[in-house]
Amino acid sequence: MNPTKHLEMRGVRKTYRYFTLDDLSMDIEPGQILGFVGPNGAGKSTTIRLAMGMIAPDAGEVRILGHDIISAQALAKRDVGFVSAEMRLLPHASLGWHMRFVASIYPGWDGTYAEKLVKRFNLRPEQNVRALSTGEHVKAVLLLALARRPRLLILDEPTNGLDPVARHEVLSEFMDVLRDDSRSILFSSHNTVDVERISDRITFIDRGRIVDSSDKEDFLERWRRIHLQLLPGATLPDLPNIVGNARDGQFVTLTTNHFSDAQIAQLGGQVRDVQRMNLEEIFVANVMHHREARGQ
Amino acid sequence: MNIVVRKLIAKELYVNRWLIIGATLSGVLSVLIAATGNKAAFNIGMLTWITTIIAFGVMLGIYGVANERKEHTLLFVLSLPISTGDYVRAKQIGLSLCFFMPWLFSSAAAVALILMHPDIPDGLLPFTVLLCVFMLANFLLVVCGALHARSEALVSAVIIVTNMAVSAFMFTVAAIPAIGSTMFGPTPIWNDTTWTVLAAELVLLATAFLLPFLFAARSRDFI
Repeated sequence: MNPTKHLEMRGVRKTYRYFTLDDLSMDIEPGQILGFVGPNGAGKSTTIRLAMGMIAPDAGEVRILGHDIISAQALAKRDVGFVSAEMRLLPHASLGWHMRFVASIYPGWDGTYAEKLVKRFNLRPEQNVRALSTGEHVKAVLLLALARRPRLLILDEPTNGLDPVARHEVLSEFMDVLRDDSRSILFSSHNTVDVERISDRITFIDRGRIVDSSDKEDFLERWRRIHLQLLPGATLPDLPNIVGNARDGQFVTLTTNHFSDAQIAQLGGQVRDVQRMNLEEIFVANVMHHREARGQ
Repeated sequence: MNIVVRKLIAKELYVNRWLIIGATLSGVLSVLIAATGNKAAFNIGMLTWITTIIAFGVMLGIYGVANERKEHTLLFVLSLPISTGDYVRAKQIGLSLCFFMPWLFSSAAAVALILMHPDIPDGLLPFTVLLCVFMLANFLLVVCGALHARSEALVSAVIIVTNMAVSAFMFTVAAIPAIGSTMFGPTPIWNDTTWTVLAAELVLLATAFLLPFLFAARSRDFI
């Protein structure tokens, strides 16, 4: 395995009574934002807990910043910031206490940046954590992770519960993190708008299996919806790379995952329109295609 | 012990500081009430004394371990550069230190009450010491159970059983002739039976303290 990779998962399997995460492999290179997208219950949080060493894989290997997460958990997490929408701070302490507590553990704590985030997120360090609203709580957790200046940020649905303005502020901070190209982010979410905005690579997961993984631009370039109006008596030619086919009388909508001029040429004058797809449409079409292929 | 474990131990003392102070004051105050003279005050004082120590231990187990898991504060703690073993060590030592101060002051106050109060027979001393040590072991059992249990129901079951165990211990030990017959005597009698019960308590205490290091600390799935 390449020790310079920030995250490496190879052939990871985790089995529960009603769910199995199977043969999961993925990498994050330094400077990369990997969007990890899947529907609820797809295995995103399980994957992230495996990456953080909170649960151990039944098979396979997980390495963070070159360290095995099981045998060298403390060392591996030294340069990792982890934020989860579920995560709660200690209810009987103030945000200021949390900042001092985390600063005392991480030598790389950036106090100036922390103060800047306090102002930008409109937080009050003296405020007890119990009195924070949901959005403030998420921002407080993010502040504590970001001000460590970690090399790898692992984010599990970090924008859940945030209003649009707060989401914008938080996503902007993530982009700022990536100005230093030695840092990277694993961004898990089912919100494809957020993922599309900040990620440069995207992995789709569904029902415990990775269904597709590619550069964001590659996804956006490859996937198209082709609208056709069939001529009377005409039939569709047998085209490769068509993953969806919806028909309404003579009107047909094809979804392709490898769009090319050759496809259009084969369809000829029947083509009425070719539409680019956004990430959400690609995600849904991709997942449905793989479910059909697996007979689920 | 690494710096993060030490910080987590200090964190336990900080977040439980008011509970520690409150339990210490309540334990000592209960003994003072018991010392005021009449029998009713003695009974009320000793009842609140026992309740304080048991309830404090249960609260530490619930707030310190079970709620941390239930309310996902555990995710924050485990995001720090520690292993599962570090977490268990910090929790076990931190909560034990939290419990120790109120337990020590309350126990010392009870012992002082017996030795100094003219109307309370000194023969109660061995039984009181056995009860105090049992309550310490009982607290460690609560923490041990909470660190191993993954469900709220199991933690509740541990708390109920350990609560009932205190009453059962008091009745059982008082019913042992070698201890019960000397309880209300003018001088404390430290006979073989007393030492045997104390030794059994210390074994229980050590087992409850060490089990999390052997099992919970090595757990592969901690969330």
